[in-house]
Amino acid sequence: MPQADPGPPDAHDGGAEPLLRVRDLTVAFTQRHRPDLVAVDRLDLDVPAGSTVGLVGESGSGKSVTSLAVMGLLPRRGVRTGGSVRFAGRELLGLPPADLRAVRGKDIAMVFQDPMTCLNPVLSIGVQVTEVLRRHQDLPRGQARDRAAHLLGRVGIPDPARRLGEYPHQLSGGMRQRALIAIALACRPRLLIADEPTTALDVTIQAQILALLRELVSDTGTALLLITHDLGIVAGTCDTVHVMYAGRIVESAPREPLFADPAHPYTAGLLSSVPRLDAPRGKRLVPVPGSPTDVLPWAGACAFAPRCPRTDSPCTDRAPHELAEGPRTLRCHRPLSAFPPEPPATAPAPAPEGHGTGRGGIV
Amino acid sequence: MSRLLQVRDLRVHFPIVRGILRDRVVGHVRAVDGVDLDLDRGTTYGLVGESGCGKSTLGRAVLRLVEPTGGTVEFNGQDLATVDRHELRRTRRRMQMVFQDPMASLDPRQSVRSALVEPLRTHDIPAGPGGWDRRVRELLDVVGLPAGAARRYPHEFSGGQRQRIGIARAIALQPDLVIADEPVSSLDVSVQAQVINLLQDLQSALGLTYLVIAHDLAVVRHVSDLIGVMYLGTLVEQAPADHLYQAPLHPYTLSLMSAIPIPDPAVEATRERILLTGDLPSPADPPPGCRFHTRCPLRRDTRCHDEVPALREILPGHHVACHWARAPQRNAPDGPGDALPVAGAPSQV
Repeated sequence: MPQADPGPPDAHDGGAEPLLRVRDLTVAFTQRHRPDLVAVDRLDLDVPAGSTVGLVGESGSGKSVTSLAVMGLLPRRGVRTGGSVRFAGRELLGLPPADLRAVRGKDIAMVFQDPMTCLNPVLSIGVQVTEVLRRHQDLPRGQARDRAAHLLGRVGIPDPARRLGEYPHQLSGGMRQRALIAIALACRPRLLIADEPTTALDVTIQAQILALLRELVSDTGTALLLITHDLGIVAGTCDTVHVMYAGRIVESAPREPLFADPAHPYTAGLLSSVPRLDAPRGKRLVPVPGSPTDVLPWAGACAFAPRCPRTDSPCTDRAPHELAEGPRTLRCHRPLSAFPPEPPATAPAPAPEGHGTGRGGIV
Repeated sequence: MSRLLQVRDLRVHFPIVRGILRDRVVGHVRAVDGVDLDLDRGTTYGLVGESGCGKSTLGRAVLRLVEPTGGTVEFNGQDLATVDRHELRRTRRRMQMVFQDPMASLDPRQSVRSALVEPLRTHDIPAGPGGWDRRVRELLDVVGLPAGAARRYPHEFSGGQRQRIGIARAIALQPDLVIADEPVSSLDVSVQAQVINLLQDLQSALGLTYLVIAHDLAVVRHVSDLIGVMYLGTLVEQAPADHLYQAPLHPYTLSLMSAIPIPDPAVEATRERILLTGDLPSPADPPPGCRFHTRCPLRRDTRCHDEVPALREILPGHHVACHWARAPQRNAPDGPGDALPVAGAPSQV
C-alpha cells in the first residue's frame, strides 16, 4: 500500500513529544482461508500529558482494539500488530512481556466496560487493590491495605475499610466500577485508558462516574483516553475528539468545533441520529442509513461510502487521504464544509449556538 | 380518543425464598407496587427509570407474562386478570411485544418466514389469497427489509435488521397495543434513529398504541406523548412529554434529566448537574415514607421519612408524587412561600 500522506513518523512533531504517541498503528486478525481482518488501519493518535482525548466509534470501528494494542493486551497468536506506540518517549510495541508488565498498571492503567467481568469474583476487593500496590510499589501488606482503603474512599466508596473485605458480587455496578477505577489509580498512572467506562451503568451512576473521572484528571494531572460510542459523554468531558470508522480516524478536532461544525458526514450523521433532550420535539430523526457492517475496504474506496448521503464518484474510486488544518484532521472526499476552512469564515469559531442549523446540508 | 388500556393499582411482588428442604418465603421484592396508568388509543406512553425500578416487570404484567399480585389491567374494557386462558390468548392477539435484544428473542434456528408465520398460525389467521408468503412479503416490506430476507436466519442480519424482524413479528397480528421494552438500547447509535423512525411510521400507518419502556429519557421523550417516571416500583411523576422536560417537578426526574449527557459542549459546560448520591435501594426493603428520600437532595425532616407521598395532579395532566412539589408560580400563584427550587426547573437544567 503506497501513500505516505501523513509523512514519516517524526515529520510534524514540532517540539515536545506527547505523552502517548501512536503512529501508523495497524492491527490485523489473521483468519484461516480468508484474508486478514484489519481492525485498526494505520491509525495516528496523540494524547498530550494531562489532557482528555475522546475516541468515538460504533461497534466494530476498532476503538477497543486500539486501546488493547496500546496496552499490549492483544493475544500474541493470530494477530499482526504494526506501527509504533510510544509512551513517554519509549516504544511499547515489541517490548518484552516483563518490561511491559512494569509499565502496565503503573504508568498506564485501564478501566474496562464491564466491571463484573474485570474483577476476579473469588478475590476480595482488598486483595485486588493491594495486588497492584504490592506489585508495582513494593509496599508491605499493612501499608498497602491502608493505601487501598484510602483509594476506595477517594473514589467515593463509603466505609472503605469494610469494603476491602467484600467480594465483587456484594457491590453494586457503580461501586464495582469505582473499585476498578481505584485499582487503575492505585499507582498514580500518567495515562488512564477508559474503554466505555459507563456503558453498563445507569445514567445517574454514569453521571457520578464521569464527574469522578473529570475530578481525578484535573486533580492528579493524569491524561485520559476515553473510548465511547456516546457523543454526549464526549461533549462534557474531552478536549480533543477523534471519530473512528472502520479502523481509521475519519475526523479529529477539538471538542467545540467538532460539535458546532462537523465536517465529516459520519460525524454529522451520528449527531443527527440521537434524539436530544433539549431539542424541540416532533422533529424526525435523520438516521445514517445501513449498518456499521456495511463497509468497503479502505484500500480502494472510502469505507463509509455505502452509508454516506454525499457519496460521489471519488468516494468509491479511491480512499480519501487525511487532510490536516491546525488541530483538525479529516478523511473525506466530500466534506460538509470546505476543508481546510477558509480563514475568515470559521477562524473566530463563534460560540456554537446554531448547531441544529449549522449542518443544514444533512439535517 | 378512547381508552385502550387502564391499569389500576397494579402490584407485582416476587417472593424471596430461602431454605434447603422446604422453601420458606422470607420476604418480597416489590418490583411493581401500586401503579396506575391510562393509555389512549393511538398514543404513546413512555416509561422511564433506572434498572431495577420495575419498568420491564410492569410491561410484562400488563401482558400477563408475569402474574400480577394485585390490581387490575383493563384492555379495551375487559379485565385481563379475570379472563381464562383461552380468552387471554385471544386478547393477546391484540397486544404484542418488542423485546430489547433481538438476537435473544429470535430463535437462531428459525427462518424469518417461519418466525413471522408462527403468530399467524398460533392464532388461526386464515392464510388468505396468495398464502403466507404474500403476508410475509408485506410485513418485510413494511419494516423495510427485502423480500429475500424471508428465507434467511437471524444471524445473517445486523442488529438493526434483527430488530426490524422483531417489530415485523409484533405487528404480524395487527395488534392494537405494542409494548416495546428497550427497543433501541442494544443498537448502535447510527442505527437507533432508523428503528425509532420505523416505530413512528408504523404508528401513524397502522394506528398503533405504544407502551415504550426505556432507560433513555431522550429517546422516550422523542417518541412519547405521555411520560411516566418510575422509581422503586412506583410512578413518581407523569406528565405530557414537553411538559416534563420544561417543568419537571419531582426531584428524581430533575436529577435524571440533569444526568443525561447532551451532545453539545456549550450546553454541557453551562448546565447544572444534580448528582444523586448512592445507589438504588433494594426493592425488597424499600425505604419507608417517600421511597426516594434516601437519595433526595430536597429531603426535609420528618415528613419525607414518615409519609408516603401520593401521586397528585399539580398541573392539568401533570402528576407528581412529592410532598413539596408546587406548580410553577407563573401558572398557579398559590404557594409562593413554599415553592422549592424545583419549581424553577427550566433555569437549572
